[in-house]
Amino acid sequence: MTTNSNRRTFLKNSAVASVGTLILPQIIPSTALGMGGRLAPSNRLVLGAIGTGSQGRSNMGDFLKLNKEVQFVALCDVDTNNAQKAKAIADAAYANNDCKVYGDYREFLEKEKLDAVAIALPDHWHGIIYTAAVEKKLNVYGEKPICRTIRDGQTIVKAVQKNKITWQTGSWQRSRPNFHRGAELVLNGRIGKIQRIEVGLPNGNKGIGTPPVQEVPKELNWDMWLGPAPKVAYRGVSHWNWRWILDYSGGQLTDWAGHHIDIANWGAGLEHTGPVEIAGEGVYPREGIYNVPVEYDFLCKYANGIEMRVCNAARLEKGMGTTWYGDKGWIHVDRGEVLMASDPKILEEVIGEKEIHLIKSDNHWQNFVDCVRSGEKTIAPIEVSYRAISVALLGEIAMQTGQKIQWDPEKEEIIGNPMAARLLDRPYRQPWQLPTI
Amino acid sequence: MKKTYSLLLLLAGFLLIQSCQEKTAYRALIITGQSNHNWKASATILKTILDQTKLFTTDIAQTPKEGGDMSTFHPDFSKYNVIVLDYNGDSWPEPTKKAFVEYVKNGGGVVSYHEADNSFPDWKEYNEMTGLGGWNHRSEKDGPYVYYSKNVLVIDTAKGSGGSHGPQHEYLVRARKADHPILKGLPVAWLHGKDELYSTLRGPAKNMEILATAYADTAKRGTGRDEPMLMTITYGKGRIFHTAMGHVGKEDTHAATECVGFIVTFQRGTEWAACGNVTQPIPIDFPNVACSVSRPDYKEVTLSDDLDKIAKYSIDKSTRNYTDLQARIRKVSGNPAALLDLEKQMVSILKETGATVDGKKLILRELAWMGSDYCIPAVQELLKDADLKDAAAFTLERMKGPRKI
Repeated sequence: MTTNSNRRTFLKNSAVASVGTLILPQIIPSTALGMGGRLAPSNRLVLGAIGTGSQGRSNMGDFLKLNKEVQFVALCDVDTNNAQKAKAIADAAYANNDCKVYGDYREFLEKEKLDAVAIALPDHWHGIIYTAAVEKKLNVYGEKPICRTIRDGQTIVKAVQKNKITWQTGSWQRSRPNFHRGAELVLNGRIGKIQRIEVGLPNGNKGIGTPPVQEVPKELNWDMWLGPAPKVAYRGVSHWNWRWILDYSGGQLTDWAGHHIDIANWGAGLEHTGPVEIAGEGVYPREGIYNVPVEYDFLCKYANGIEMRVCNAARLEKGMGTTWYGDKGWIHVDRGEVLMASDPKILEEVIGEKEIHLIKSDNHWQNFVDCVRSGEKTIAPIEVSYRAISVALLGEIAMQTGQKIQWDPEKEEIIGNPMAARLLDRPYRQPWQLPTI
Repeated sequence: MKKTYSLLLLLAGFLLIQSCQEKTAYRALIITGQSNHNWKASATILKTILDQTKLFTTDIAQTPKEGGDMSTFHPDFSKYNVIVLDYNGDSWPEPTKKAFVEYVKNGGGVVSYHEADNSFPDWKEYNEMTGLGGWNHRSEKDGPYVYYSKNVLVIDTAKGSGGSHGPQHEYLVRARKADHPILKGLPVAWLHGKDELYSTLRGPAKNMEILATAYADTAKRGTGRDEPMLMTITYGKGRIFHTAMGHVGKEDTHAATECVGFIVTFQRGTEWAACGNVTQPIPIDFPNVACSVSRPDYKEVTLSDDLDKIAKYSIDKSTRNYTDLQARIRKVSGNPAALLDLEKQMVSILKETGATVDGKKLILRELAWMGSDYCIPAVQELLKDADLKDAAAFTLERMKGPRKI
């Protein structure tokens, strides 16, 4: 059986179901059986990808490792080089030439009949494409940060909730045992009442000056790459290094918010709220096209008294990672399986049956597939990812304006500062629009 | 620059070049005339830098040439609030040395600039004033090496010669006493212009505080230590500010002294040495960790400089004046009157027919978040301009506030 026909099973089944025939084929689409849009356990998850640069291909690899659970069928990229590299990975996995390639996500979403899509794009595209995929009722594995602005984020959250799809953010640290254990210990009061949190993130890129305008490589659709961002001449900066330009990203701060700030919120029980006051300072390059802060340091105050300091790691005693400080001690977590505490005995504590047990996942991509099947919440659902990136975006606004920002985490509005409030949104370049949900 | 010297006085065998300016708070005397460096250039540069503050009236005292009759060198230190040492040469005559020590003991201010800490290896009091020195056969007999290693201050009595540096390069200067008046309000670290990175200095280091260090990278033939760059020393009632930076050689350009980090710390350090306090505001163009900032003419960049450059900006040019403008906006963003004043000047660029499209785009980008009703007519006007309509639309749309979802 070719992947094509395999892929089409889902389509055919849907078609059969929709005309109401009682003769059902063996593999039944869950939608047809009234399982709430859920995938039957026997079915492979028919998966596609939008954005197949380094992170997109990395995600593909992780999904393909799940082997028979997933059938990867199509992809979309504005760079034909990236697309061909990704197609080669998929085709090699299935020993065929079936993976379909698109250059425009609209055509991809229109033509492909998928269960889920893995999306890994520059942040400035997240608002539009995440929302479009969700509105197609696709289950989404989406890269962090889930949005470039608060307004984009609110739209995506609303779309996910309306369409009741399964969402997993690529905040894979949640599926690593040290982060999970650290957060669970903190959440269950093992360091007492939390007073403050420190989040150490990498320094920004110091820049490349002002490279000359160049001819756009023939494989790249530059206008589509820019999409809703302002039209600018091509200077050799697109893949990967978009991270250092404010039109596309907030730098390491917003890149890493979906990891260490997300983990900080998880342990502190701040996953569904936000700070009430944010103030700090950014160190901005004085020259060149890279303009994200290379260093940053801001303090967020929460209604319950907790203070979270977010800054470049060099400014913190414990450096990179998340440290929760409670009135009875501290716990620090970071990549490389780092899990430390003020007293090592804290780390041996057993979490009792009646205490809080966080969702457990050993494999972030498997967790997504499992939740598509079960309908349960993933380990990194959209709402918590939105709250994690909100902290960074509000910090960015405080730093850009040089002002102390008052934030209402319930209404999700900046209070008493219309000038700063403008920065909650970014106008899109025509004809691109953020859909109204 | 020499034209700024209004008066040349030949006084008792050495040259005293006196300024004749409006009355300033302090009088400063730069001593130069012998050095293994380009002292003719450096003394003039230092005078320019100090006079820029309008706090100092600066004279230059030039010693006799090397091997000359030093007995003629006896400036009247007591007329000055601060003595700036840009000198590495023959010993001063005993009465001059004595007068200098008395001057400092009684509360006089001193600035030891770059190679001045090479000078007078055998003059005990002088070495106590500079705290640390190098070259001229300095060794363990002169005192320990002093540096930071992994954030710990090290007093190292190991044997060895004092004073070294690798090839000149840009390096990061890091505050160790960020609350000291000289550093207060400056970034905790900044990239310094291409300079020698003085290392393995040693000396008595008594009553000395290290204000800032620079990591001497082994890749640049450095020590792998954080070497002291800015120091303060007290001697009797006197205050000494010691900067190890600011090399001026034979080249026509002087990246080390043109560096805003050098200029500003030198200005602030000299004021502190003169009076124990610093009143100068932090300039907008101070460098940060991302890049060094140079003032080729030693003048602080003004808002009108920035706006003039932005009006001529094209996308292949430096963005420095734009980032200056952003910093200026940030500085006054909480003050509506000052912000409006800035906005009016920005809007005048939008109206300027000679201003470039790229320059106007930069202005529009800022107005988008900080503009008031004042700018709207000028921005709307640009909707008619094919090259600027998108940027103008962005501004007007953002000014409306976030979209509804």
